[in-house]
Amino acid sequence: MSEGVQASPGVPRGGSRIRDPRDFYGGLALIALGVFALWASRDLPGMHGFAFGPGTAPRIFAIVLIGLGAVITGIGLVTEGAVVERYEISGPTLINLAYIFAVSAQTFTYKMVALALLVLGLILSVIGLMGPKRNLVRGPLFITLSVLIFAVAIRPLGLVIASYFSILAAAAATPEVRWLEALIWSAVLAAFCVMLFPIALNLPLQLWPTNLSWASLLSFR
Amino acid sequence: MTDLLSNLALGFSVATSGMNLFLCLIGAIVGTLVGVLPGVGPLATIAMLLPITFGLPPVGALIMLAGIYYGAQYGGSTTSILVNIPGEASSVVTTLDGHQMARQGRAGPALAIAAIGSFFAGCVSTVLVAALGAPLTSVALMFGPAEYFSLMVLGLVFAVVLARGSVVKAVAMVMMGLLMSMVGSDIETGQSRMAFDVPELSDGIGFIVVAMGVFGFAEIMRNLEQESSRSVVHAKLTGLMPTWPDLKASSGAIMRGTVLGSILGILPGGGAVIAAFAAYTFEKKMAKDPSRFGRGAIEGVAAPESANNAAAQTSFIPLLTLGIPPNAVMALMVGAMTIHGIVPGPQVMTKQPDLFWGMIASMWLGNLMLVIINLPMVGVWVRLLRVPYRLLFPAIIIFCAIGVYSINNAPFDAVMTALYGIVGYWLVKHDFEPAPMLLGFVLGPLMEENLRRAMLIARGDPSTFVTRPISGGLIAIAAFLLVLAVLPMIRSKRDEVFVESEG
Repeated sequence: MSEGVQASPGVPRGGSRIRDPRDFYGGLALIALGVFALWASRDLPGMHGFAFGPGTAPRIFAIVLIGLGAVITGIGLVTEGAVVERYEISGPTLINLAYIFAVSAQTFTYKMVALALLVLGLILSVIGLMGPKRNLVRGPLFITLSVLIFAVAIRPLGLVIASYFSILAAAAATPEVRWLEALIWSAVLAAFCVMLFPIALNLPLQLWPTNLSWASLLSFR
Repeated sequence: MTDLLSNLALGFSVATSGMNLFLCLIGAIVGTLVGVLPGVGPLATIAMLLPITFGLPPVGALIMLAGIYYGAQYGGSTTSILVNIPGEASSVVTTLDGHQMARQGRAGPALAIAAIGSFFAGCVSTVLVAALGAPLTSVALMFGPAEYFSLMVLGLVFAVVLARGSVVKAVAMVMMGLLMSMVGSDIETGQSRMAFDVPELSDGIGFIVVAMGVFGFAEIMRNLEQESSRSVVHAKLTGLMPTWPDLKASSGAIMRGTVLGSILGILPGGGAVIAAFAAYTFEKKMAKDPSRFGRGAIEGVAAPESANNAAAQTSFIPLLTLGIPPNAVMALMVGAMTIHGIVPGPQVMTKQPDLFWGMIASMWLGNLMLVIINLPMVGVWVRLLRVPYRLLFPAIIIFCAIGVYSINNAPFDAVMTALYGIVGYWLVKHDFEPAPMLLGFVLGPLMEENLRRAMLIARGDPSTFVTRPISGGLIAIAAFLLVLAVLPMIRSKRDEVFVESEG
């Protein structure tokens, strides 16, 4: 994903050549995504006579996307536009990517990459939480953490524990959180989830931990 | 005509079976509930509640999902009128005149007109779906791969043209969606594409994952940025019944709203939101005294409410007859149908007439139920608004997480949803509209398949799309629309400096 591009909201107007930072950085991110897709599909066979190969369509779309991204970037340079609304998502993005790396890791190197991403993401998040944008950091960060807790815990620990802590983490996403209320509300909601999904709807969800081991916890699946 | 009647009779016999009636009711109530709560759109709800329908028979499942959809349109208007908070994007315009009416002590008539308008629109569009179903299906059977491809191009162009803001950015979003839909296995060779050996990606990125992330989670992240200062104004409800002049004033508006909504609903890329806006603007232009609008004109409630309901329903037409979803919610219905083993398209009507006609009949029943249950329950819905957002959103998140997880029993999907939430949040911050992306994402595999087949049949000659009459016509319309949309943009871009974009 291409979330590495961080638009700085405080781009000086007038003197700067970037007139519309929303378009400028948005276009750059699309170019990056297109290039990434081209790289990811580099091994796929292309046209075979007049028949399309598996790689033909992805390449067409990626190249068009790069072209459009360039146009948008260009528009951002020449026309005046609004400043980017402030946001801070680098931490949660890295944390999500860390999980994806951890799941797909087949080699030790990849596992280390995942770990590094996680640590970096957490550090950035903590810095963000202490900085002036702390209320903007909260939403994306704690929603990410909430889902992550659920994903990691649901298989080994079961629905009750996974949903309780997941809801609790989600509750922290707003600065208006009241902790005692959140603790109770999480329990109520978790109970409701248990009644609704596995019991009323018969979905195959485990309620409590079974066969708990480090291996099952660390497989992240 | 007799065919139509016997088909509708079959439909009603399916829809009035105890189980289906019950599911329709549940769908309508849940839909209204969600419609009342701001920040949970119909898309996120359908995605969230999809697992609930796993255990149901396909007909029942689709009846319930459809009920949620039009129930949500309906519930959104209730809060628009009473407390000036649109529950759904499609009822934003209703706040303009609806809430003014409520402040003048005419909340009752406003609600009643919204209900009557919606019901009338629902009846008309139900008949329209039934009447257009058969002819369009026979058209669809004449379509070859080239025609299908061109039709989808037209659909995407519509989505681009109707999207708010820059055309270039909307096209870029479509491309991004198409590109993301390429992840997974190639249809013809089975070769893994851009999946990085992740087993969870070998089947592609789930549609629900993208939809729920970009529309559900991203929306929550946006809402959390704002201070929650939802003051619930207490509007006294006195006298539900509209007066005779009210009815007379709004009857024309209801008709026009219904027609406009029906047309915009069928068009690909359209849908309830655009229909409501268009109907309101049209009504204002038509009026002898436009200054009344915004100050409690009853036409300003009647027209958009009829239009959004009509559009919500007619947007099922392209889905059920051609198998092409015209907007994001219908794209989600495709997902729901696929889970139940139904391939949307012309063959649904011939092979599963009970499903097709049952669903149509249930739409009418659902609309009737909405009127009957909701007017007395207005008080309950308003009280619901007092639930603070800090309690509401964790519930939405956990339901979404469990919902996404239980589709494939894959924790990976839940995390991908969170990632897409961040992507959607980023897109909004950079003024990209996510709806065209989602449509591109859904249509991607279908488009590629038909493109490849058409090219193969034409022995690699791309002119086949232009020389075949139907396909050529569709492409011509698409090109014309695109030029029409781009021209004013290029002209205005030069002197647009400092003009605020409309929120």
